[in-house]
Amino acid sequence: MAQIQKTASAGWLRKESQREALAGYLFILPTFIGYTALVIGPILAAIGYSLTSYDILSPPEFVGLQNYRDLLTDPRLHKVYLNTIYFTVVAVSLNVGIGLLLAVLINRNMPAFLKYIFRTAYFFPVLVALTYCSIIWQYLYQKDTGIINYYLGLLHVEPIAWLSSPAWVMPSIIAMDVWKNTGFAMLVFLAGLQGISQDYYEAASLDVANRGQLFRYITLPLITPTLFFNMIIYMIGALQVFDSIVVLTQGGPGDASRSLVMYIYENAFQLFHMGYASATAITLFIVIMLLTLVQFRVGQSWVHYE
Amino acid sequence: MNRTDLIDSPPTSSVRKPAAHVAAQTTLWERLPDILALIVLSIGAILMMLPFLWMFSTSLRPIQESFKLPPAWFPTEFHFETYSAVFSSSVPLVAFALNSVKVTFFVTLGQLITCSMAGYAFARLRFPFRNTLFLLLLASLMVPGQVTIIPVFIIMKQLGLIDNHLSIILPFLTSAFGVFLLRQFFLTLPQDLIDAAKIDGAGPWTTFIRVAIPLAGPSLAALTIITFNGTWNNYFYPLIFLNTWEKMTLPLGITALRGYLASNSASVVMAAVSLAILPVLLIFLIAQNWFIAGITRTGIKG
Repeated sequence: MAQIQKTASAGWLRKESQREALAGYLFILPTFIGYTALVIGPILAAIGYSLTSYDILSPPEFVGLQNYRDLLTDPRLHKVYLNTIYFTVVAVSLNVGIGLLLAVLINRNMPAFLKYIFRTAYFFPVLVALTYCSIIWQYLYQKDTGIINYYLGLLHVEPIAWLSSPAWVMPSIIAMDVWKNTGFAMLVFLAGLQGISQDYYEAASLDVANRGQLFRYITLPLITPTLFFNMIIYMIGALQVFDSIVVLTQGGPGDASRSLVMYIYENAFQLFHMGYASATAITLFIVIMLLTLVQFRVGQSWVHYE
Repeated sequence: MNRTDLIDSPPTSSVRKPAAHVAAQTTLWERLPDILALIVLSIGAILMMLPFLWMFSTSLRPIQESFKLPPAWFPTEFHFETYSAVFSSSVPLVAFALNSVKVTFFVTLGQLITCSMAGYAFARLRFPFRNTLFLLLLASLMVPGQVTIIPVFIIMKQLGLIDNHLSIILPFLTSAFGVFLLRQFFLTLPQDLIDAAKIDGAGPWTTFIRVAIPLAGPSLAALTIITFNGTWNNYFYPLIFLNTWEKMTLPLGITALRGYLASNSASVVMAAVSLAILPVLLIFLIAQNWFIAGITRTGIKG
């Protein structure tokens, strides 16, 4: 009798877990259809196209590694890669650095409504489309009619060609990017700071640590996971910079502000060099993957998980 | 270890709580860092808002005066003719807005359904290869959209979907980020709750719909807002897939019309941008806390 019951319940259990597994697969099915059709499939296809010469109108023609050989000797590609790396290094440092500074300042003792106002003011640009921000800033940056040069003129500074001189164009794009995006880092850091138990500070203050020491030895180590998260997110985003440059400068003057993604876009959708553009995009993919892996590797030595 | 030892010693905590008269005697010198922080933050916050203030005050300026220097930061008279110029028949701004609403609505709805289902499965249902599949999905967060866009463009072209809203809806009906966000939430549900539903004879679907989803309100709200904002502001995909005026979404349309509007006046451009930003501002003011919770939740635990 007991034996029968046991088998019956085991059978019921097995049926139950099979039912649950089936439900699990059905639940993830829509996501995985999208994932296969729009991520895995296209990655494989992009690798395939990168080995061809393809202009959409006539069928792709296999050219082996020719596109990759061309990449190595394309001076414009070197220029757009340098621009993108320059943008990434400076914009990520400033966005994350200023975001951390703001979070530390806001996280002090102050009335709740002031915190709310500051948080809102610094975060709001994050929500506004980059294209709109760029349209606004394009007017602010105008050499003759822009208000930035107007106010600098009051300080007897000669008008600066913010967007049309090769020397100023990248710093101008980066400045706008920091204004637009640093609020995100601030918010993530604020959450990280508020997650630090007050106990640590009370314990440390017994050792008469001053503010600087508290920050260096308590705060900084404890927010390294947040710092790490911000750096990865901003790096991946910065390597794909596109919208702001398209609106502000269209890559000019010359190629002075052209980014890698703009170059891919122009090759693919204006010149219809689909093969070459795919090969360029694959290099971007590899760069992002390698940098992320390196960050995770190096991160193990400085990121402190509780 | 040391930490708890230190904190448990009772005299410390009483020393740490300043009595009222001590607080009153804090000198200006001691409060100086707080005051400095306030000043720095205030100046910074004003600088952050200036571009938007300039945008709004310019949009209210008479068309001939849009470049007036020094700029009048606070308009003394209100000229709404720029706004009526935006709505004139030659500018399809209303059509852009309707397109944006349509695309945003279907993308957000799609993600709410697909991401909550997949997030629940990855958090709460047991099936072979669950963790492998989840990691595979997360890896796609590293794949830049530019790598997949060329094949996706070719697929859409073969399906005849270029210049069709489906071409910018279909690719966004699910998102690895959304699945991740909701999985993190469903992981926090108490197991007792799920077991109780099971004992009552509820299958996975019933448990999901009747027990899990009703508790997921704040997380679903966070995903809604994040998806709404991302779709409402998207420029790259519409730029590639849409090419007629009737089909354009707001960011693409306004950017494309910028030259035409500016020939009229910068004030008209700013009126259009002000209108396009308005829904984002309203939603943010209403739902700020959910939005922030959504971002920080993934940020910290990510």
